[in-house]
Amino acid sequence: MDVNEHEVSPATREFGCEQNLLSRPDGSATFIQGNTNVLAGVYGPAEVKVSKEIYDRATLEVLIQPKIGLPGVRERAREQCVRETCEAALLSSLHPRSSLSLILQEVHDDGSLLACCLNAACMALMDAGLPMSCLFCGITCVISTEGQIITDPTLQQEKESRAQMTFAIDSIEKRVMMSSTKGSISVQELQEAIALSQRASERIFQFYRDSVHRRYSKIQ
Amino acid sequence: MILFNSFRTADPLEYHKSFLKENCRPDGRELDEFRTTTLNIGPISTAEGSALVKIGNTAVMCGIKAELTVPPSDTPNKGYIVPNVDMPPLCTSKVRSGPPEEQAQAASQFIADVIESSEIIRKEDLCIQKEKLCWVLYCDIMCLDYDGNLLDTCIVALLAALKNTQLPKVTINKDTDVPEVDLLQKSPININKHPIGSSFAVFDNTIIIVDPTGDEESLATAVMTLVTDEEGRLCALHKPGGTALSGEKLQHCIGRAATRHREIMKLVDKIIESMKK
Amino acid sequence: MPPVDRRRIRGPDESHSPYHFVTEESMKCLASGDRRVDVSQRGPLDLRPIFARCGLISQAKGSAYIEAGNSKIICSVYGPRETERKDETDMKSGRLVTDMRFAPFACRKRGAWVQGNEEKDLSQGLLESLRPGVCLHKYPRSQIDVCVMVLESDGPALSHAVTCASLALADAGIEMYDLVLGCTVRHTGTTQLLDPTFAEVQDDQSGASVDSQGTVTLSLMPNMNQVSGLQSDGVMEQESIKAAVQACIEGCFKLYPAIQHTILKTVRKKAPPPES
Repeated sequence: MDVNEHEVSPATREFGCEQNLLSRPDGSATFIQGNTNVLAGVYGPAEVKVSKEIYDRATLEVLIQPKIGLPGVRERAREQCVRETCEAALLSSLHPRSSLSLILQEVHDDGSLLACCLNAACMALMDAGLPMSCLFCGITCVISTEGQIITDPTLQQEKESRAQMTFAIDSIEKRVMMSSTKGSISVQELQEAIALSQRASERIFQFYRDSVHRRYSKIQ
Repeated sequence: MILFNSFRTADPLEYHKSFLKENCRPDGRELDEFRTTTLNIGPISTAEGSALVKIGNTAVMCGIKAELTVPPSDTPNKGYIVPNVDMPPLCTSKVRSGPPEEQAQAASQFIADVIESSEIIRKEDLCIQKEKLCWVLYCDIMCLDYDGNLLDTCIVALLAALKNTQLPKVTINKDTDVPEVDLLQKSPININKHPIGSSFAVFDNTIIIVDPTGDEESLATAVMTLVTDEEGRLCALHKPGGTALSGEKLQHCIGRAATRHREIMKLVDKIIESMKK
Repeated sequence: MPPVDRRRIRGPDESHSPYHFVTEESMKCLASGDRRVDVSQRGPLDLRPIFARCGLISQAKGSAYIEAGNSKIICSVYGPRETERKDETDMKSGRLVTDMRFAPFACRKRGAWVQGNEEKDLSQGLLESLRPGVCLHKYPRSQIDVCVMVLESDGPALSHAVTCASLALADAGIEMYDLVLGCTVRHTGTTQLLDPTFAEVQDDQSGASVDSQGTVTLSLMPNMNQVSGLQSDGVMEQESIKAAVQACIEGCFKLYPAIQHTILKTVRKKAPPPES
């Protein structure tokens, strides 16, 4: 497993990632941020149900499985966020009339879960070798009661915060692809959070690059 | 006319883009123009509060039913607000009967998040007696006609219905420990904040339109909903994926959302004022 | 315990309607609901004033909205479209599918989102009343969906749902032999009330036990003068049922002009008569 440890502002926890760890799916990855851990599997392109067929692109399905219990409304809302982010990044028109499914299993939640889901999803899509127009990463920020913005918070920090934001940032122009917020935020706080997330995204993309590089350098 | 309609059916995206290039839209609107919003407050007498809101063709009805229950054990001085959005097969041909599909479920979660983030009502106000009795407000939001921009319509319907809600006075009988409801004394609930949403559709990060119709929503590369309160703070920036959006464009949308907030507040106040007469 | 609904946001496990705990004095205010007190205003065999409109739902092929007193019903029709069930043996005639629901806030007690048995029975009743009126043989291999939503219920809803659905079918341009109109009579002891309200039905259920009481709902095709649906609940003598059926038929004929007027207005709007 690859672990990246250098410390640059804005602070994030340690990342870890392993690709291609499952044998059945066409692509798989696990992503670790501190104690938060998500496992992702991608199947496809495969045959699609007639009722779900789209004539000019692939149909993407995303399933999020919580650690305990069955998925509910909250998971459904997260699935929508992950699916539409992936749809924007994937060049799905290269696989018309086919199905892609992405399954995300929460292994442990210690904050920034949606961000970790996005990161695991991106690594798994990469591992599946699906053509994408850009990469994306997820980053969560919280605003503490003192007004300080913390990136990549733990569950404890999330609980103590007064507002929480999760963004998906694309790798080319570092723009916001997805945004999901909770709590009341001033416009200035939002701008600061976006700016911080954009800076943090560079680290995540660097980590993506390093871990893929390390994986293929072993093969020779 | 026939040629025009077949262009629309054969290549809907090109059809829309040909309008957007000229800075207008197929229904004759400007890019940053909302459809006509109409409001009917209190149409349902069986609900404690209700509202029917139409934004263009999209129609949403919200009914509030209040019931009595025991406060949650972790917050014994608060009541419950339980919002649910449903898109029954009635509202569009795309939905088949059965449990709510992803869009409706995601909308339910979004409305729940907006209620939580904006503190539209202080949950403490719903508590009748600590650890014993509180109100649970079931906010059932039903889409009757779906032509895009569900979220904005739902938020206005929810706000208007909550403003219309009257709760009867409840006392707990000291001898029997049973609540007593006095229907003759009803009082409105205190609305703490007034969140209003504005939805945008993005075509390739170049063109941004407000209040997308159903067709525009399905053709756009991304949709986004901003919810602001009366102090200009954001209660939600909800962009479930889609193509990326630059900071300047976002800033432009925040500005438009603030104007929209004032427009809707004026409308709601006007309707409530006219009901008093 | 019913299975947990994971597709909706859940509230507390248990909650009670405040109407269970209403004090005696305020009960009176509740009891003075909508009833026929003054015969000069509304006699026992008078319908409530009805408001009907077509074409309110932009997405539907046809739609209708009916308001009778406090009862509010909206209906949309989709189709004819490809049938979902391909295994049906009879592909020569079309399939009519009805779905009738109550909004959770439609009754005094909050209803569930999930369709209950009562709603399923009503859907079936609606289907059976409508089917004789629709020329289904004109739509082979296809399906016509009728969705009815009761937004507010004040008294038996089926009769108004039938009327509303047939208006929506007409608005959708579905070929029909005739309109189908619905009417309900509430029979208690010796009195018969046409188009009863919730309070009127509630009254005799809570009141002293009467030997014969019941509700008769009838669907009529007025031009053909044929009954397409008849439903009777409760215990009634043969004579009373006869009288109730007669009252329903008369009620339908009273309703007919108003519905005709609505259809005429809709047609005029859709295809304005040439100005000469």
